Amino acid sequence: MTGAARIRLAVWAVLIITITLGAHPAWSQLGPFGGPRPPAIGGVAGWVLAEQAVFYRALSGSIRLAKSDGSALWTLMGISFVYGIFHAAGPGHGKAVISSYLFANDETWRRGVTLSFVSAVMQSLTAILIVGVGAVLLGATAKLMGDTVKDIEIVSYGLIVLLGARLLWVKGYGFFGALNKLGTDSASRAAGLERHAHNDTNCHHHHDRDHAHGFRCDKVHHADDVSQHDDRHCHDHHDGEELDVLPWGHAHGPEPEELAGPGGWHRGLSALVAVGLRPCSGAIIVLVFALAQGLFWAGVASTFVMGLGTAITVGTIATLAVSAKALAKRVAHKPTGYGGLVVRGVEFGAAGLVFAFGILLLTGYMASERMGLF
Amino acid sequence: MHHIRARHWIGILLSLLAYAGVTTGAAEAHPHVWVTMTTELLYAPDGSVTGVRHAWTFDDMFSAYATMGIPAATKGHFTREELRPLAQVNVDSLKEYAYFTYAWINGRREKKAFNDPVDYWLDYDPGKTVLTLHFTLPFKAPVPGKQLRIEVYDPEFFIDFQFADQNPVKLVGAPALCAVWTDKPHDDNFLTAQSLNRSFIPSEANVGMGMSFANKIMVQCP
Repeated sequence: MTGAARIRLAVWAVLIITITLGAHPAWSQLGPFGGPRPPAIGGVAGWVLAEQAVFYRALSGSIRLAKSDGSALWTLMGISFVYGIFHAAGPGHGKAVISSYLFANDETWRRGVTLSFVSAVMQSLTAILIVGVGAVLLGATAKLMGDTVKDIEIVSYGLIVLLGARLLWVKGYGFFGALNKLGTDSASRAAGLERHAHNDTNCHHHHDRDHAHGFRCDKVHHADDVSQHDDRHCHDHHDGEELDVLPWGHAHGPEPEELAGPGGWHRGLSALVAVGLRPCSGAIIVLVFALAQGLFWAGVASTFVMGLGTAITVGTIATLAVSAKALAKRVAHKPTGYGGLVVRGVEFGAAGLVFAFGILLLTGYMASERMGLF
Repeated sequence: MHHIRARHWIGILLSLLAYAGVTTGAAEAHPHVWVTMTTELLYAPDGSVTGVRHAWTFDDMFSAYATMGIPAATKGHFTREELRPLAQVNVDSLKEYAYFTYAWINGRREKKAFNDPVDYWLDYDPGKTVLTLHFTLPFKAPVPGKQLRIEVYDPEFFIDFQFADQNPVKLVGAPALCAVWTDKPHDDNFLTAQSLNRSFIPSEANVGMGMSFANKIMVQCP
């Protein structure tokens, strides 16, 4: 019975991770033969594509128009906003990294959305800084600017690899710890001690608040005896946090120390820098075009508005990632150890995805955007 | 207990699928450069094809980006000479991407059909503020002209290639009675025939083409 259950569990875990990986754009992008696969037209993709082309052209049109007609600036802002929303639907902009990161961790939706917004603002700032210093002050050529962006990209991708490696380490510890524990659990259950089958993931995310270090806590927790269930520890914080996970939960927001403490912003900061460092090529091109038209400041405003649109798309996806995770946890919150193990397995898988994104981006197998070709 | 567990799995699977669907959901495509192109196929007197001559016009925003920092004697006007270094950079970097030009010879896609480009230069249109890159890709060996297919696309779709609205493809020095078709992914009418004579068989032209964003040129000569 135990052996059969364990095998079934392993099969499911592999299946789920395969599905997650297989369904992910980063992986499916590689195509059936490992080579790049041309994107398919039609459906939502084709529509977004067509819209994007229309808005991109309207963008240049309104910048041109703004030279003679100041009111075109408002049109430009509107177009930039919508373009930002559409544009961020394509690869890049940290959607995959941010959502996988959120999926691997127990984050609140507020933090997910904030992460999306701050990283989008950061991407805008990098683009403005590059064009501002490069084109306005130094008179750099496209080649030089492309090379600069490439260098920044390498740093950014390297940070994503590091972020993924750290997540893998932490989540691997949790996953294999839970796996071991489940073995002990089953053994004791076989001996007739069913009542000990407490799901340790119930408590998992509250440790951050209590001990400030998620990682160390995992360790501490796994050292615990299975039968030693700390009731106060788990239930005290349970309700508030659980409700806060979802945007429609009308409970109180996150406590300030939760966001600012060493287990709070500190944790998200690495993801933020890794994603936010990389400027959007689209913004750079718009900025340079605006500069060429003598309307650099219109370009700067457009870049920020575009970033706002991007943040909305990324934030929506981040919210869905957080919700999916919350749902998975809720479903797994049944008095069997397997559910908890699956959640940890999925976290481990998501951590692996962040790591894999970083490696693929760094090695150039996954092209996010390309600059400096022409 | 068993049915509860089954519900777990279903729930977890559904939430995972939702997550994967969300991150996948939207378009993968992400172009930043739009190219309007015209292409000429160059024929030898014996009816074989010796090369492909491209003229790629970039969109105005990208043209502004590409020309920044390039010194010009007259502001807003770039001469062919002033653009020479940029043209060199262009053809050099295009090599890595096989010039985005893929030849199908006798029904097979040839990976390395072309030699390095010749006769390349950049033109700048100060009125439209757009750059046009001209270059010729010579075939390594002249290709029998009976049946040839050329595709132009960026597999990663960073660049969106489109045929010019009018006369996108020209056959230069082709034997009489050759027929050419172009297939534009942006067209509502999937296939447009631009025929040099009336005896072509359209049904052959749209068989088995997977590259949905590829601009295809198909030529058939007697």
